[in-house]
Amino acid sequence: MNTPRLLQRFAALALASAVGLAVAAPNNAADDPPPQPVQAPHYGDGLFHFFQGRYFTAITTLMVSQHFQRVAPHDDEAEVLRGGLLLSYGMHQEAGRIFAQLIARRTSAAVRDRAWFFLAKIRHQRGLLPEAEAALAQVGNKLPPALDDDRHLLHAQLLLARQDHAGASQVLQALAARPQAGPYARFNLGVAQVRSGDNAGGSATLNALGQASAPNEELRSLRDKANLALGFSALQAGQPEQARTHLERVRLQGAQANKALLGFGWAAASLKEPKQALVPWLELLQRDPSDSAVLEARIAVPYAYAEAGATRQAIAGYQQAITQYEQEAGQLETTLGAVRAGKLLQALAERNPSHLDGEMGWLQGLADLPDLPHPSHLGPVLAQHDFQEAFKGWRDLQFLDANLKGWNDKLGVFQDMLEHRARFYAERLPALQARARNTGAQALGGKALGLHTELTQAEQAGDGLALATEAQRALLARLQAMRATLDRLGDPPDLAGARERHRLAEGALTWELARQEGERRWWATKALTQIDQGLAEAQDREARVAQAQKDEPARLEQFARRLAALSQRLAVLQPRVAALQLEQQQAAQDIAVAGLAGQQDRLATYGTQARFALAQLMDRAHLAQQSTPQDEHAPSR
Amino acid sequence: MNHRLFSLLLAGLLLGLSLPARAADAPAAEPTATTTAAASPAPVTTAGLDQRIQDVKADVIQLNRDLLVLEEELLFPAGTQVALFVSMDVGKMFALDSLQVKLDDKLVASHLYTPKEVSALHRGGVQRVYLGNLRAGSHELVAFFTGQGPHDRDYKRGTTIKFDKGREPQYIELRIKDAMGKLQPEFDVKLWQ
Repeated sequence: MNTPRLLQRFAALALASAVGLAVAAPNNAADDPPPQPVQAPHYGDGLFHFFQGRYFTAITTLMVSQHFQRVAPHDDEAEVLRGGLLLSYGMHQEAGRIFAQLIARRTSAAVRDRAWFFLAKIRHQRGLLPEAEAALAQVGNKLPPALDDDRHLLHAQLLLARQDHAGASQVLQALAARPQAGPYARFNLGVAQVRSGDNAGGSATLNALGQASAPNEELRSLRDKANLALGFSALQAGQPEQARTHLERVRLQGAQANKALLGFGWAAASLKEPKQALVPWLELLQRDPSDSAVLEARIAVPYAYAEAGATRQAIAGYQQAITQYEQEAGQLETTLGAVRAGKLLQALAERNPSHLDGEMGWLQGLADLPDLPHPSHLGPVLAQHDFQEAFKGWRDLQFLDANLKGWNDKLGVFQDMLEHRARFYAERLPALQARARNTGAQALGGKALGLHTELTQAEQAGDGLALATEAQRALLARLQAMRATLDRLGDPPDLAGARERHRLAEGALTWELARQEGERRWWATKALTQIDQGLAEAQDREARVAQAQKDEPARLEQFARRLAALSQRLAVLQPRVAALQLEQQQAAQDIAVAGLAGQQDRLATYGTQARFALAQLMDRAHLAQQSTPQDEHAPSR
Repeated sequence: MNHRLFSLLLAGLLLGLSLPARAADAPAAEPTATTTAAASPAPVTTAGLDQRIQDVKADVIQLNRDLLVLEEELLFPAGTQVALFVSMDVGKMFALDSLQVKLDDKLVASHLYTPKEVSALHRGGVQRVYLGNLRAGSHELVAFFTGQGPHDRDYKRGTTIKFDKGREPQYIELRIKDAMGKLQPEFDVKLWQ
């Protein structure tokens, strides 16, 4: 199963499930679910990198956001995504731990089912088959449909692993019977049926697939595979006529074409039709000389000539084959030399740049052959899973190496920054302390307290005098002066009017003050509250400045300690990565060398067979030659 | 000779027929990868090396996390931190080309979008376009989006928000939405706490 695709599908499902939606498996932008609002932007940030295939950035971004606890309410989804990403990097232990924790956490049934499924997958990949089956058995009915298909496929794989072919076939049959089951499910079923001994059932399944319409290249290729499998199965069963029927359906330009042509020739040869066999085999000789089917065709062609009685062409064909095998062997030796010299991986990296913006990730297939002498020999080597994995591992290590070097530079900058901050702080501290001593906040506090007391007294007096305006105070002073004058003048009758006017004016002022007292007291209280708040803020700021003065050296010290510890970890990791890079390069080269050596062996075998066949033909021709002159001379004698 | 050759070929072919092809995976593109995945375990000869590589990967990922945490705490302390995000809801009414963000009349972020990034936004990703520091108090953010609106017309829109920065980190999300009623894109701002 393709982990990256599975992971993509899974993440989209995780995102959809976060908003309570069930969607079909999306493998590309066209099938994508509609965007759903993410409830935590930092979780969305991780997804943003993930959806671009920048998995290393996605996982580290996600982990940082988890550290700062800012992915809620997507905590479980974030964990599942992290587990999936670690799994894609082959970090089974950590991924397994994450999924086990999710299960133990009693999270939602949907998340738990996905966790059990991934756990089963991890155990399967690690070869823990009974444990994988046990985990798979725990998966409930909350798995999204797209992952449910994968679950059945995994189940079938596990059954096959313990040789339960019939059980696997049953599981796949159920999968293929689903209305939405695609041709791959039917192909898998057909293969499983053949492997479980149900040849008739398997042939029927594959035969139906082999004749089905295929609207795109992917399905046409699958159809070719089905027909090829049927053709060779029929050849093995001694049914060459039927084999021809199946092999005829394989396209002449597809990936399976060479094998089909070879098989088609063998079917004709089995029917004692060597001339018919020559047609596909001669066509094969025009094709890529490094292809194993083409190599084999080189001796199949003279074999057909010999069977057809064309001994001279057969001898020439074998001689030509031997020469070509020798040439091929020489070229192979040159290629081997280049691989042993370490040129392969570098050339491959240059020809197949990472599609993940240089990030660590899986390989989508090596599209271009490297720029080395006779690169066609490397095609089969590069197609090997082991080699691709080894190359991917080497490129991952290159990425890690570059990543660590980048951090090394950055840490140097951080170190300078910290030193600069410490120096700047030490220089500015005396001025800050002096300013802190002269803020006057304490004096202002005293004043505010006095005002509070005055307001309390005014409240207690309740006459509004304390809250009178300047004009009212002036008026009050004038009235008091007038009263003093009136008192000094005694009580003559002509002053009665003046006294009455003074009484009325004084009464009006007292009434005015009493009327305005409530409002003025409210305003005064509000103003004092604002003063108190302002003072509290100033005192708080002072306290924080004072605290910062105490804390800053400790904070800088703590940063310096962390920086030193991280630098130490970095320093330990860098040589480890460099050493592993060399080891991995050697391992990848060894796989390539082993693959090329296999080609050498095959060439040697073909060469030996060609020589043996040639010797037989020569002997036969020699014997015929010896007998023929006698016959020819007989009449003359 | 022919029988030996034929049986060799047949054996190779039948070995190649294994289970794990699946609906979503194209075996033509990854023929050997899928077959090995079924039988699984890594090659025995490099198993030790594989394990050491996995260990070093785990260590580097963990170290990266710790370094990123340190970097953020050092350069963008929580008290002054401000982060700007961009998200897109549906996005059928607007094809995003570029974005400019000004904070207090100062250009802080400018981004040209690749098709991959736009696709990631469509799929629900949220892009962090800016991470910086702001002192407590009132601030103004202005964002300009350019792209293509309905009927492939060039489209430029701005959105503004005033906000008060406290002593907690401030997260601001610029959201591009489709207003189906008006058949126009909408741009709004959400302040996260």
